[in-house]
Amino acid sequence: MNSILFNMEFRRNARSLFLWSFIICALIFFTMSFFHSVLQYQQQIMGMVKLVPMAAMKARGFGNINDIFSGLGFYAANNIVYMMLLGSIYSMVLTSNILLKEEYSKTAEFLMSRPISRNEIFASKMALAFLNVFILNLVAGLVSFISLEVFKSGDFRVQPFLVLTLYTFLLNLFFGALGFVIAALMKRARPVTFFCVGLVLVFYFLFTISRLSGVNGDFGYISPFKWVNVEVLKPGYGPELWRIAVFLGLSACLVLASGFIYRKKDILT
Amino acid sequence: MLSMSDFRHVDFAGSGNPDLVSVAFCSNFEGLVLKYHPVSEIIIEIQHLSKYYGHSRGIDDICLNVGHGDFFGFIGPNGAGKSTTIRILLNLIFPSSGSAKIFGLDVVKDSKKIRGRIGYVPSDANLYDKMKVHEFLKFGAAFYGGNNSEARIRELAGLLELDLERKIPELSTGNKKKVNIIQALVHQPDLLILDEPSTGLDPLIQSRLFGLLIEENKRGTTVFFSSHVLSEVQALCRRVAIVREGRIIKSDEISALRDKQLKKVRILFTDENINTDLEIQGIESFHRESPKSIVFMFSGDINELIHKVAGIRIENLSIEEPPLEEIFLHYYQ
Repeated sequence: MNSILFNMEFRRNARSLFLWSFIICALIFFTMSFFHSVLQYQQQIMGMVKLVPMAAMKARGFGNINDIFSGLGFYAANNIVYMMLLGSIYSMVLTSNILLKEEYSKTAEFLMSRPISRNEIFASKMALAFLNVFILNLVAGLVSFISLEVFKSGDFRVQPFLVLTLYTFLLNLFFGALGFVIAALMKRARPVTFFCVGLVLVFYFLFTISRLSGVNGDFGYISPFKWVNVEVLKPGYGPELWRIAVFLGLSACLVLASGFIYRKKDILT
Repeated sequence: MLSMSDFRHVDFAGSGNPDLVSVAFCSNFEGLVLKYHPVSEIIIEIQHLSKYYGHSRGIDDICLNVGHGDFFGFIGPNGAGKSTTIRILLNLIFPSSGSAKIFGLDVVKDSKKIRGRIGYVPSDANLYDKMKVHEFLKFGAAFYGGNNSEARIRELAGLLELDLERKIPELSTGNKKKVNIIQALVHQPDLLILDEPSTGLDPLIQSRLFGLLIEENKRGTTVFFSSHVLSEVQALCRRVAIVREGRIIKSDEISALRDKQLKKVRILFTDENINTDLEIQGIESFHRESPKSIVFMFSGDINELIHKVAGIRIENLSIEEPPLEEIFLHYYQ
């Protein structure tokens, strides 16, 4: 890894990290602030929710109608959108562009005329990207924890919260690794932001469909979202080795593959 | 004191002579002062280098040697393969076949070591935005352990009249080019690779740049100068390779190109109906100017030409030394 490049990339991406973190944290905190009102008008909301098809509730992230009235259940449903979806978009856009930007911005010729190997370039950018994803998850996790503490109605179990946070981070990491592969595979120097956003949304859509009642949801495992166990209120909810192994194993494979491709790639500006 | 024994035969592209040692000299840009220094080391060695993008040709079987201290011109029209060659040398792209070495090191395997000793001015590369010029130059120099870069940056910026406090996005094309030139020179490289370095610069700054390059060359820096501006190459370079359609079609000393006995012949006939096919060897770039007039480059036996022309009724015959620019264009076409 090259510290000069790493530091430059850190400064270059700090603003974007701050904005994404701020927006996601604000959304989490703002949404959780409604939880008090949800509890306050529990009867009326229950009446309304009963009119909503359960499929729609599941699609929104609620596994059970009573999840709405549990702090952790309420948080988990929103976490799917805020951290799992938005965090993954951030992660993938960041990792794909951090490599490709040198090419489509025509700065690759400058960078690659320095005494720095492709391995060092890749490692520096990867380290920075994953650090940013970690910081985003850490900040969002802290804000989520504080929000739950502030707006909870009773005690909430910390362990499921931590496990969900870990899964979310691993999901974001996976999409980050996928972003690196896409960047490495791109033959032409052009931004892939829309493609990455689209890909995450397609996976999210598959995941959502697979959760609908009456649908055999096994096909949802095509989507990495499905690899996250979001049923935080289910008894026995905890870390599952296979899920962690799948995330880490596939992410490592994708990173290694993208590093290998990048080392052999023609840098076209 | 140098003697002729310090120098050996000069051989260039396609020679395949691994024992090549070139005689290096550079002419002062403004005139006639020549500085000689012996060359004992090959800096750039390209062997049968080809690059194809699918079926489309980038470069094809290029062979080239550049000696230490040389000021080497690499000239050709747009799309000829100049930038492709340079990008392979920098390991931005990989060759389809063949090999290239710089400082005796393989450009693919040892690219990091090589880059530590070269400075590169890209033709149209952008700079990192969101930086000031000074910050950008310090960033670039830091890769070389640039502790002493500050004074050098200020010296070069003063020479090229570049405001270091400007933000990168505010810079004009010419000023961006100046930044690229400075970043390539800050660490005082052993080899300078310049891809159209004067593009976008005003004549005064161009002149200063050329003076700077000559000074660097005098200090022993080898210069690989890619351009399509013939006058620049003619003024600066001692040796030149002309590249066309991915191949080197001619490589020689500039002075040797002048001395190639290539003549420009113009014949004005008395009659439009005369058969203008002279049927002798050495006629190239044949061009009919008017129904009665033909022009061509001639590299054959001048006596044979005179003998042929003597049998035809003509109004005028001129045989002249073509300017170097026309010699280049002759090879381009």
